[in-house]
Amino acid sequence: MSVRFILRAGERGYSYLPAVGLNASYVAGHPDGVITRHSSFNFHEYQSGIPGLGVMKVFGDETFTPNGTGYNMHPHHNFIIMAFVASGALTHINTIGKIDELKANDYYVFSAGSGGKHSELNIGEEELQVIYVWVLPGQLLAPPSYRRSRFDPKAGANRITCLVGDEPGALPIGQTFKVSRLLSDGGRRHVYRPAKANGFYAFVLEGDPHAARQHCAGRRGHGRDRGPH
Amino acid sequence: MKKYLCLGCGFSYDEARGLPEHGIAPGTRWANIPEDWVCPDCGTPKSGFEMVEIPYYAEARPA
Repeated sequence: MSVRFILRAGERGYSYLPAVGLNASYVAGHPDGVITRHSSFNFHEYQSGIPGLGVMKVFGDETFTPNGTGYNMHPHHNFIIMAFVASGALTHINTIGKIDELKANDYYVFSAGSGGKHSELNIGEEELQVIYVWVLPGQLLAPPSYRRSRFDPKAGANRITCLVGDEPGALPIGQTFKVSRLLSDGGRRHVYRPAKANGFYAFVLEGDPHAARQHCAGRRGHGRDRGPH
Repeated sequence: MKKYLCLGCGFSYDEARGLPEHGIAPGTRWANIPEDWVCPDCGTPKSGFEMVEIPYYAEARPA
């Protein structure tokens, strides 16, 4: 069964996570600190959009206010968690022993595997915009790992660049899943062909392109789900 | 005996191994774990778990 859908900006799940009240132990920051999360996909009580697409269970477009806002140290098992920084600076701390700072176009893949904790913070003075993607692993309890890379906006201009997946130059995750990025000057036609058995989800971060003959303005998504999962 | 992954925080449960350190004996079926049991990692109650079956790292490696 193939399901086509368009998720408009305002139709995504929405979470407003202030650093006070119920979230105080989870969300770091001064009392005015807040994380906002627009979820194209999410899970159980957090779900208000479409419940995942294949092995991708979370796609969150998040904004952290500056000066210390973020997620305090918290545990995961198994999930492969990726962060793609759109603007600002992300400080990532994990129990594999990595303390990292990622800026615009940087991204990481953190595979929690047999168990790992992480903290995600905006300690800078600018707002942080970051996209989080969670993918089911192919296997339980693999050794935890962390890798980072960078999308080069010059080398990657006007071509579809694979960031995560089984392609040269991309970060491999041992799963039938890819993340690619396109930064286009416009006025061009770009073709992406997913494997026949796979679905796809195209998210428009900025601009006003026509994605797959569907008009998709900024921060909208367009997808095809080749269930069942 | 089955192995499960919860979509909440990624916590896994192996019925054959149980979770003796959390008071659940080896061989306990997921269905027989009390309803008031909560995830040791993220605190989600059993009713909030979304379980999918998935193999272990070692088992999934090619022979």
